Amino acid sequence: MEHSPVTTNPLIIMMINMTVVFIVLVVLMYLIKLIHFIDPTKEKPKPAQVEEEEPLVAVKSEPAPAPAPIIEEGISPEIIAAISAAIAAYGFSGQVKAVHIVNHESTPWRSSAKFNTLRRK
Amino acid sequence: MEALNAFTVSLQAVWNDSGFSSFTVGNGIMILVGLLLLYMAFVKEFEPLLLGPIAFGCILANFPNTGFFGEEMNVMKAINFGITNEIFPPLIFLGIGAMTDFSPLLARPSTLLLGAAAQVGVFVALGGAMIVGFDVHEAAAIGIIGGADGPTSIYLSTKLAPHLLGAIAVAAYSYMSLVPLIQPPIMKMMTTQAEREIVMKELRPVTKFERVVFPIVSTIFISLLLPPIAALLGCLMLGNLFRESGVTDRLSDTAQNALINIVTIFLGLGTGMTMSAEGFLRADTLLIIALGLVAFMGGTAGGLIFGKIMCKMTGGAINPLIGSAGVSAVPMAARVSQLVGMKAKPGNYLLMHAMGPNVAGVIGTAVAAGTMLAMLK
Repeated sequence: MEHSPVTTNPLIIMMINMTVVFIVLVVLMYLIKLIHFIDPTKEKPKPAQVEEEEPLVAVKSEPAPAPAPIIEEGISPEIIAAISAAIAAYGFSGQVKAVHIVNHESTPWRSSAKFNTLRRK
Repeated sequence: MEALNAFTVSLQAVWNDSGFSSFTVGNGIMILVGLLLLYMAFVKEFEPLLLGPIAFGCILANFPNTGFFGEEMNVMKAINFGITNEIFPPLIFLGIGAMTDFSPLLARPSTLLLGAAAQVGVFVALGGAMIVGFDVHEAAAIGIIGGADGPTSIYLSTKLAPHLLGAIAVAAYSYMSLVPLIQPPIMKMMTTQAEREIVMKELRPVTKFERVVFPIVSTIFISLLLPPIAALLGCLMLGNLFRESGVTDRLSDTAQNALINIVTIFLGLGTGMTMSAEGFLRADTLLIIALGLVAFMGGTAGGLIFGKIMCKMTGGAINPLIGSAGVSAVPMAARVSQLVGMKAKPGNYLLMHAMGPNVAGVIGTAVAAGTMLAMLK
C-alpha cells in the first residue's frame, strides 16, 4: 500500500534507518548465538586436562621477518591470496616461500597423471 | 520510368524506416558511452559479466525505430518486464545465496555490526542527494549505491525511482568493479600499521545444524519485520539452504551456475536498455555518479571506524581492516581486506575473517533497502 513519506527531513530519515539496520542486525547476531546455544550437534568443550599438558617453558626467539615469496610471472596477487588463505584454512601456519606454475602446457595425459597422484595422497 | 519511380519510393521507405532518419546526437553519444563501457568490461575486465551486457544493452537502446518498447511483445520488452517488475534481482540473490558460505559470519556473529556500520554510506549519500535537490524517493535509490550491491540497487530503483535506473545501475556496478582501487587508500589512511598487522584468531568450526537453521530463522524474522524485501532476502536464504542442506546438490548447482548466468545476462541487458539518450544524458546522471562515490567511500569509512571500535573493545583481537568488507561487494571487498592485510604483514590471512562482515553487508544493504521502502513507499 502506498502512502506519503512520514518525513522528508534527511537527518531524521538517516537516523531512523541507521537505527533500524543496527537493531535488525543485532537481533540477527543474537539469533545466531541462540542457534549455536541450542545446537544439539556441537562438540562439547574438551576437559581441562588438556591445559595441564601444555608444553614446558620454551625459549622463544623473536621470529625473523618473513622473506617475500618468490612468485613466478603470470600469477596474480589475488591467486596468491587465495592459495595462502587455503593453506591457512587447513591449519598450516607457515610462510609461502615460492609459487610456481607447475604445468604450463597441460595435456589430457599429464592432467590425468597429476589427478591420479593427488588422489593417491 | 515507372520502375525508377517505384525504386525511389522504396528507397525513401527504407530510409524513413531506418534508424538513420531519426538518429540524434544524443543517440551517438550514448553509443559511444556503450562502447566505452564495453572497453572497460572486456579489455580492462571491470565486472565483465555484468558490465558487458549493460554496455551492449546501452548500444541497442539507442537505435531509433527498433520498436523494442512498442505495443507488441518482443524479447527486449520481456527482458524489460523482468527488470521493471523486480523479477531478476531476487533470482540473482538465489544464485548468490547458493554461492555464499555463511560460516565465517556464524562463527563470529559480532561481524554483523560491521555490516551494519558500513551502511552509513547509504544514508550519508541519501542526505547529500536531498541537499542537492533530489526528492526523497530518488535520494533513497541513489543512496543504496553505497551498499555496493547491484541487485539491491536495481530492486530499490525500480520501486522508488525507475527513471534513474540506468544511471544508478551503472554507478553501482562501476564502483563495485573499482573496489580494489577505491578502498585501499581509505583503509591505509584510517588505520595504523600496528592495526593492519593484527593477526586474528582462527574461527571456530560451524556445524551443519547452524548452517541449515540460520537461513530459515533469518528469513522468518526479516520477512516478518520488513515484508518489502521478503522476495530478495527469501531468495538469498533459499539459495543458501540449497547449498547447505546437502540433499539438493542439483538445485544448488543450477542456482549458482546456469540460473545466475542466464539471469545475469537478462539483468545486464535489461539495465543497459534503460540507458536511452533521453533518460541518461542529463546533469542528474553526473550528480548520481558523484553521490555514488561519496556513498561508497562513506560505507568503507563507516565499516573501518566500527572495526577500530571493535578492535579497542576486544583488546586488539579484531583487525579493523575487515570493517571495510562490510560493504557488500562479495567477495571482492573481502579480498581487498586480505590483500591490504598481507601487504602490512606477509602471512596475515584475513580473507575468511573478512567474509563475515562481507556477507553481513549483503544482509545489511537489503535491510537498509527494506527500511527505506517501508518508510517511503
